[in-house]
Amino acid sequence: MKNKLLIILFSVFILMGQMPPNIVIDENEKDIKIKPNIAGTEVVLYGVMPSGEKDIIIEIVGPARNIFLEEKKRIYGFWLGLGRANYYKVPSYYNILSSRQLKEIADQRAFDKLGLGLNNLPLGKAKITNSATQQIIFDDNLKKYMIERGQFVKGEGQVSVKSGPGKVGIFSTEFLLPSRSHQGKYFVRYYIFQNGEFISYAENKIDLKQAGFSRIIWLLSKNFPLLYGILAVILSGSLGWLISTIFRRLKIS
Amino acid sequence: MEFYLPIAEMSINPIGFLCLGIIVGILSGTFGVGGGFLMTPLLIFLGIPPTIAVASEANHIVGSSLSGTIGHLRRKAVDVRMGNVLLAGGILGSFLGIYIFNSLKEVGLVDLLITLSYFLFLTIIGSFMLYESLDSLGLLGHKKRTRFYHHSWIMGLPFKIRFKKSGLYISLIPPYLVGFFVGILSSIMGVGGGFIIIPAMIYILRMPTSVVVGTSLYQIIFITAFVTILHASTNHSVDIILALILLVGGAIGAQIGVKLSGKLNGAGLRMALAILVLIVGAIMASELIIQPENLINIISGSNFE
Repeated sequence: MKNKLLIILFSVFILMGQMPPNIVIDENEKDIKIKPNIAGTEVVLYGVMPSGEKDIIIEIVGPARNIFLEEKKRIYGFWLGLGRANYYKVPSYYNILSSRQLKEIADQRAFDKLGLGLNNLPLGKAKITNSATQQIIFDDNLKKYMIERGQFVKGEGQVSVKSGPGKVGIFSTEFLLPSRSHQGKYFVRYYIFQNGEFISYAENKIDLKQAGFSRIIWLLSKNFPLLYGILAVILSGSLGWLISTIFRRLKIS
Repeated sequence: MEFYLPIAEMSINPIGFLCLGIIVGILSGTFGVGGGFLMTPLLIFLGIPPTIAVASEANHIVGSSLSGTIGHLRRKAVDVRMGNVLLAGGILGSFLGIYIFNSLKEVGLVDLLITLSYFLFLTIIGSFMLYESLDSLGLLGHKKRTRFYHHSWIMGLPFKIRFKKSGLYISLIPPYLVGFFVGILSSIMGVGGGFIIIPAMIYILRMPTSVVVGTSLYQIIFITAFVTILHASTNHSVDIILALILLVGGAIGAQIGVKLSGKLNGAGLRMALAILVLIVGAIMASELIIQPENLINIISGSNFE
């Protein structure tokens, strides 16, 4: 079940003069509230950019979080998860959307220079204990895992650009923020390329807030663990009592 | 339809878990066992992290044992005094269990502890049940049942008190120790411990069978409640949503199971359950021995921080 609510973000790029084009964007932060027990939220991005033979790449980077990996090793015939790699600054979400295939827009060196793309995404230094494995191997596994979970995604060629009135083009794209998305600030970075060259950049932020029952439960369990435990017992006990009462009534009638 | 488990941090199909609750509920209703020792391994097979499976299952058992105890209390089939002595031992035992659990969690060995405990207990119980059911089916050729008597050292222990309901006058020490041991298991394995405590009541404490199940359930409510609170406050690993889904399924299943138990061949069923228990134990052990598909796995990464 997809959340049909569309959240529209408006970013305005105004072309000031011919070359080099400056970009002015809407500085307001957008608040989005999502409920973690639904499939996700569809986010629509659209705005105005300089027209002509230009490409746009939009990169979305979610708030950092801690992720711990374990490495299984064989000890006395048992596979035990003894090795650890603790990451403290992994973006919880990453998406790269573009108007064409990335390799058609510019070559890899241009992207590397800008730090654009999943390969250039910094995962932060991991604290590795009890393992001789190099961080790069953990990094690869972490990226693979995040891609599998739909938290690192690619939308090459998914931005559509239409020529608008005058010298502006209108771009639009949409992507799905999964329901398990981390709460916090999402940086949306816009890169404009022309003939394989980077020409301008703009950035804005989306503030994602988690709403709903799941989040309340999670917060309660972390911040008031004792109260949460007692509550869990009371809830389970009263449901058990209720069930036994219902079944007894049913038998009598 | 998808449901989000806030603590396990995964989306599940609630119908599937409800059915799991029903199936385990039918088994527990039919055989008069709590079902925790089957539920926790099944949850782990379904991808719930072991620490969360254990803590949430303890939470589930609070409700299911309370639901069961009410019926026994109405029939006055609960020895409350005996239950309280078992409970006193159990509380101390669950503290020790949680201490062991958390110490091993820090060094990354808690999954091994859970898996090995399950393998060991499922194998022992499965073999015992299989032996017993084959014996009742007359397949082992035994004519006489061995009788158990109180060993003289148990009768000689001090601090004797009278348990009126059970018609016993015995020392506090054996029930206290039984409770203590079950408390340890309860916090490590997320079980009520009925499968240990019921045989212990019958064979060691010599309680009459009429009060055994009710008394066992009575003390399980409090032990699992205590274990739930300990896990919640030290590990943050109790998933209340998971527990409640299982509870609803389990309650429906238990009613069906109770109805079924009267109609079916007891010994044959017990043999089937014994084989199931042995299979679950073997699968648990194989996870430790067979090379895992992924050597590197995510163990934690919270979405809500």
